[in-house]
Amino acid sequence: MIQKLVDRLLAPAPQKHAGVMGIFEYVDDAAAAVRALRQVGHKDLSVYSPVPHHDLEHALEQGPSLVRWVTFGGATLGLTGGFSLCIYSVISYPLVVGGKELISLPPFVVIGYESMILLGALANLMGMLALARLPQVKSKAPYDPRFSLDKIGIWVPCTGDDAARVEKMLRGQGAEEVKVHA
Amino acid sequence: MSEEEITYETEMTADDVGATEHVPETVTQKSLTADCLRLIQRPGWLWWVVFLFDLAILAVAMVAERNQIVQGIGVAGHTRPVMWASYVTNFVFWVGIAHCGTLVSAILFLFRSHFRRAVYRVAEAMTVFGVMTAGLFPIIHLGRPWFAYWLFPYPHQRQLWPNFRSPLEWDVFAVSTYLTVSTIFFLVGIIPDAAAQRDHGANRFYRLIGHIFSFGWTGANHQWKHFYGAYLYFAAFATPLVLSVHSVVSWDFAMAQVPGWHSTIFAPYFVAGAIFSGVALVINLLIPIRSVFKLEHIVTVDHIEKLSKLVLLTSTIVTYSYLVEIFSAWYGPSSNERDMFVWRFFGHFWWAGWTMATCNSFIPLLLWSKKVRRNLPLLFVICLFVNVGMWFERFVIIVSSLARPFDPAPWGVNYKMSWTEGAILAGSFAWFFMFFLIFIRVLPAFSLAEIKETLRAPMRRKA
Repeated sequence: MIQKLVDRLLAPAPQKHAGVMGIFEYVDDAAAAVRALRQVGHKDLSVYSPVPHHDLEHALEQGPSLVRWVTFGGATLGLTGGFSLCIYSVISYPLVVGGKELISLPPFVVIGYESMILLGALANLMGMLALARLPQVKSKAPYDPRFSLDKIGIWVPCTGDDAARVEKMLRGQGAEEVKVHA
Repeated sequence: MSEEEITYETEMTADDVGATEHVPETVTQKSLTADCLRLIQRPGWLWWVVFLFDLAILAVAMVAERNQIVQGIGVAGHTRPVMWASYVTNFVFWVGIAHCGTLVSAILFLFRSHFRRAVYRVAEAMTVFGVMTAGLFPIIHLGRPWFAYWLFPYPHQRQLWPNFRSPLEWDVFAVSTYLTVSTIFFLVGIIPDAAAQRDHGANRFYRLIGHIFSFGWTGANHQWKHFYGAYLYFAAFATPLVLSVHSVVSWDFAMAQVPGWHSTIFAPYFVAGAIFSGVALVINLLIPIRSVFKLEHIVTVDHIEKLSKLVLLTSTIVTYSYLVEIFSAWYGPSSNERDMFVWRFFGHFWWAGWTMATCNSFIPLLLWSKKVRRNLPLLFVICLFVNVGMWFERFVIIVSSLARPFDPAPWGVNYKMSWTEGAILAGSFAWFFMFFLIFIRVLPAFSLAEIKETLRAPMRRKA
């Protein structure tokens, strides 16, 4: 039974989406293909690569990740939470030592600071996973194991005549292999 | 398309030159993946011999710990006035070891030091396993480890809370945050490499592990965007964290008015010492790994040399701190402080003081020579000495100060390590290496994705 489960996990995902996948060797070819496809209106394409490339990022005109706002929220919560916990604890059970102030902020800075980092990092993780749509048991989009090795894939969702046109474009731009899932 | 047809980028920026200077031209994305995944396979007899030996030491330590739980904390050698002895020494030592990983993975990431890419995964793994080892010692030292949860704040019917003004409570927050953040940082960095393991692993077992740790990663553009967006912030959080954690550990001592402890230099002194011992252990781990697994072309002598320069730099900072401490004691108003520093080098524990100075200040002076830095067997031995010296540094700080308090009555009572403490110290190394030995066999010990970034991208340049 475990063997069957492992087999199912490791088997490639069934092809559900319609579109064209172009596989490229060269980064500049892939970047040119992305630009050409975006020019003719294919804005919702996905590019798979073993490492990120600046050429591809520029071609895709990607903005900065929104994860920073989630991180900022988590860090703010951690900072205020850390200080609040310390202040609440001394007020809820007051123990005056040597006539000193109960709310002694300097030692609480350490707790506030560490809590800021802890919650900021946890929020950063959650934000990254949510925005990158992770974790997923199976890739929802078409995938080829060569994308984690040395090849670049461009997936263009399209059907019918559009697919034939995209296939031609990808080949023209230097794709070494094009797969049509229509 | 054949390999010969690939032409490489010719218009290189200053960044690219830095990026490729240490990676031999012969390394390709395919060969790199194959080389790094070669480690992840059924282990050979040598691995099993080392692993079983490691488990045997761990078993002895577990017997010692069992005795301590059953018979009480009295079986450990510490006694009044030395109530913090080898366990707290081990705690500080292992937290220190853990610091190098974050330095290499986060601080050097922010500084765009490309040489870190070949070595940071090993350093990060060392960080996580180092904190896991360090975290055991306060619990072992409690004597009644089942009450360890009292250290954490939790809602309570009687409104009893930990004392947030105590450096010991700061330590709980600092070390547990450090463990969480460094583990997250480590596991997030592994995601793209685990995907390569899932796709190209040696057999189904290793592909399954890759599948689990890859979280379903595909390398899509939106995933890379958020991955590096978040990675920058992990590094930005980890950098002040690494500086704060050992500062907080140093305040466990510096906040007390004990001669030899009550000093403002303690925080930077401890941070430099932590990085010193951590980098030395990374070198001790990398030299055998690269040689046993034939990875000399990925972890080059240049990489190791750069790490050894960090050892030299931090050795000079640590030596400077020793001198400042001695100078402050001599120049300052406290005769107890002055006596303490004379006692450290000429009193009962003189041998520990001189071991510390020899291993941390004198032996690393050899690293001024480029020939020594590039002579790996010699460098390996120097780094072993550094780690012995750094353990003794913590021993000297903790035990010598406690054995010589203001009240002279207990001055004759000196600490002697018991076999229980010795076994638990040996067991801490076994515990650390157990995780490390498993790690290098099940997950990529070198960052495929980041080393691939240092290779020149294949470009057709068709005009």
